[in-house]
Amino acid sequence: MLGKMTAPTKFQLADAPMSADRTAGFRFVSSFGEVFQAANGTWMLTSAEAVKFAVRHPEVFSSAEATNAGSGIPIPLIPVAVDPPAHRKYRLVLDSMFAPRVVNAMEDDLRTQARDLIAAFANKGECDVVGDLARLYPTQVFLTFFGMPLDDRDQLVGWVETMLDHSTTGTAEAGPEVVEAATGLFGYIQRFIDEKRERPGDDVLSRLLALEGDDAWSDEEMLGCCFLFTVAGLDTVTGAMGFLMRHLALNPELRRQLIADPTLLGPVIEETLRVEPPAPTISRTTTQDVEVCGVRIPAGSPVALCLGTANREPGHWEHPDDVDVAQADRGHMTFGGGIHRCLGSHLARRELRLVVEEFHKLIPEYEVAPGFDPVAVWPAGTLHLTSLPLVFPVGDGGA
Amino acid sequence: MRVVIDYERCTGNGRCYALFPDLFGDDESGYGQVIGDGSIGDDQLDEARSAVVACPEDAVAIEGE
Ligand code: HEM
Ligand code: SF4
Repeated sequence: MLGKMTAPTKFQLADAPMSADRTAGFRFVSSFGEVFQAANGTWMLTSAEAVKFAVRHPEVFSSAEATNAGSGIPIPLIPVAVDPPAHRKYRLVLDSMFAPRVVNAMEDDLRTQARDLIAAFANKGECDVVGDLARLYPTQVFLTFFGMPLDDRDQLVGWVETMLDHSTTGTAEAGPEVVEAATGLFGYIQRFIDEKRERPGDDVLSRLLALEGDDAWSDEEMLGCCFLFTVAGLDTVTGAMGFLMRHLALNPELRRQLIADPTLLGPVIEETLRVEPPAPTISRTTTQDVEVCGVRIPAGSPVALCLGTANREPGHWEHPDDVDVAQADRGHMTFGGGIHRCLGSHLARRELRLVVEEFHKLIPEYEVAPGFDPVAVWPAGTLHLTSLPLVFPVGDGGA
Repeated sequence: MRVVIDYERCTGNGRCYALFPDLFGDDESGYGQVIGDGSIGDDQLDEARSAVVACPEDAVAIEGE
């Protein structure tokens, strides 16, 4: 007999007081227990043990159904919506395209792009980190990796945000603007698949198209994979960048230490990622009855793995709710875990590092615009700030 | 004593080689690799223990401690 049966709670994720303060939000979530059923039927796994158990048993906690069901997208999101054993074939190919060595080789180009975006506002005395930098940079990086023109950036940002806004507002029928965005984005990607097939370049898209024989991907696989990169690799980085810059803006002492000692940047990035995870939960569906931390979950249940609470497990960190560089060398779950662990983690970390380094070269002193309270959007699939206006003195930056 | 990586668990998160480059390197896909045969001296034991904690997949272990 599998663990104890429990009744649904009154818990609704949307009720978590997440906007102003993630500490309050995640505490609210964990207060219901380490494994419990939300009012809408979804099982919540909140402890590190429960989350790790689920990500290490992908045959029981299936991504295929969970992910495709909620996305409203008619093609499989490769590789996030693929279960084992098929998943492995995709990751074998993709891992080497986003490995640290690849990111190293791109660093100069990516650094220049970050610097140019920052230079555009560095002499204005004010900027919106989200609007002027964090929304734009990840899309440029995507375009760079996939060999698409940077001029298309704003178009792409528009399509992706329209689609993601819709997917987080719930189950309502997609309006015409959403359909238009999806059609635009798919058409755009397809155009480049066709183009790169004719004239391959030195980019991810061309390398995927170059796979031959049994390894070759169909157009549908190509499209699903490219599309996933736009929904997995853009607003997550936007979110992380906003939270990181917010933390640095609100903690001038830490910022000055960091400028004096650049080796602190890695730890500061890891700690903000841990405390402010852009993807607070990830979804699975159980394929069989299973017991997690003594609680029985029936087959066919939707499950949410709460990375944000697992990251703040009491006992694992001395100051679970604070950004503390002294505890940055403990593993966190912000990039998920197990076979689906984020493919873009090395790239995401590098994007964050380059942006902070270049920002501080041009703008070492800054603060949040007086009177502005940077709050996160909630409920949301991706936690992020909509705006982060900063003010700073002009002219003492010296590049 | 040796540090070892369990490849059933390692997912290439890169914390081991980012934090402890004396003990770990990366392969072309971003997965961790022990340096040489992973042998460590007493003076490296603290680092190795920290690496065990740093790996989010619990893939790093110390053998013969
Ligand atoms: C700070 C930024 C990011 C965060 C917090 C993040 C978070 C995550 C998480 C939690 C997962 C696991 C999903 C699951 O198990 O259901 C994931 C998967 C994934 N991420 Fe990221 N991500 C980030 C940036 C990126 C970037 C920049 C890229 C693109 C290069 C990317 C591409 C992917 C892909 C392709 C997957 C699916 C991997 C698989 O299923 O095997 N992510 N990400
Ligand atoms: S930290 Fe762990 S998961 Fe990451 S590369 Fe090293 S052994 Fe693998």
